[in-house]
Amino acid sequence: MQYSNPEIPEGINVTQVHPLKEFFTLIAGVAGLVIVVVFLLAITVQYLVTLIPFEKESQWLGRMGESFTASMQSDETSDNHQQIEDYLQKMADTLSEHQRLPEGMMITVHYSEADTVNAFATLGGNIVIFKGLLQTLPHENALAMVMAHEIAHIKHRHPIVALGRGVAVGLVLVSLSGVGDGVAVQQLLGNLSMLTTLTFSRSQEELSDREALGVLTTMYGHVGGAEALFEALQTEYEGREPPQILSTHPHTEKRIERIKEIQAAMATDTEFKPLPGFILELKKANEKDKQPGNE
Amino acid sequence: MYDLIIFLVLLGLGYFVGQALEKSHFRSIIKREKELRHLLTFSNRYPPSVTEEQNAQLVSGSVVISIDYFKQIVAALRALIGGRITSYESLLERARREALLRMKEEALTLGANIIVNVKLETSSITKGQRQQVGCVEVLAYGTALHDKQFS
Repeated sequence: MQYSNPEIPEGINVTQVHPLKEFFTLIAGVAGLVIVVVFLLAITVQYLVTLIPFEKESQWLGRMGESFTASMQSDETSDNHQQIEDYLQKMADTLSEHQRLPEGMMITVHYSEADTVNAFATLGGNIVIFKGLLQTLPHENALAMVMAHEIAHIKHRHPIVALGRGVAVGLVLVSLSGVGDGVAVQQLLGNLSMLTTLTFSRSQEELSDREALGVLTTMYGHVGGAEALFEALQTEYEGREPPQILSTHPHTEKRIERIKEIQAAMATDTEFKPLPGFILELKKANEKDKQPGNE
Repeated sequence: MYDLIIFLVLLGLGYFVGQALEKSHFRSIIKREKELRHLLTFSNRYPPSVTEEQNAQLVSGSVVISIDYFKQIVAALRALIGGRITSYESLLERARREALLRMKEEALTLGANIIVNVKLETSSITKGQRQQVGCVEVLAYGTALHDKQFS
């Protein structure tokens, strides 16, 4: 029988490529593709969704917005709940006029007794202002800034755009499920798409901030005091804020910076309109609760 | 945020430890292949004509090697894009050569000097979840013979 027994050289059955180099090339390729696709999808959705008139949004999705705001209400209702809500609604109506909201767009303000220091705008023109926020604001100018910011969200249809974006991107992700080995790749794609959509969320916030400042001038004659809330939030959340790339809002410091830039360009004043008595009472009640004897 | 950190730690572990283990395994494989080169293996179905009375025996060698996290991620990305999964190539190369060596070692203990009709079989051992390949098993088997003409 004829045979030979040579020494077989190495490297025949393996592709000579450095594993790290291959890994980074693949990640860059996949990440790049996902980011581009999600970006284009978000822009397309933004354009298409804003074609839905506001009346239809209120009709079809208004109930969703209302049930969401109802879930934010706390169990207790104080005596002046309606008084505060009427005051906030009146401010919203005045600001809507100044902001030149399109015909048919109605803002409904809801006041929640929860201690959250926040406010938000949701579908159907609903805005929720929390008690915690009212307790933190020093004067009416700051409150008007927050209110105008939320109204700007509704004016530019941000709630429905965010919803559409979430649905579209979620659909794409779900259709990619099952692709690839294991769950890690889906998580990676999910995180990448989330990071891309957060960029859009942050630019929406910046737009609303800018517009709110514009409205303040028409209402009070100057833009002073707009940064008051953000400065209060900054001292409260010192060091605990997540990095900007992972959040839906720009960093509080950046927002204060932008406001100060605009204030330098426009008229400022240090005379602020004080908040009405029944709101200042909320603050006093808060301070009383915070004292050691009353806990 | 923590998901990302855990992911990177597992990836780093898989890469550094996995690569080190693979390199040391390859070194051991190359050394043993040199020692066992004199034991011939053939894939012929029928044994060659022999001069002595035979005590033919089935010999086999098998090995189970697990995939590390880094290789899995690279393979998963490849599954999206397509192309050669180079991370698995070195894994299977290792497993095949190790299985053949173990078969040769068994044949050596029996006093054989050739193995005929050598076949290889590969299977993946999944952990029950369809999408996760836990480890790969390679089995090499053949008929061991002894004949003076092959010494």
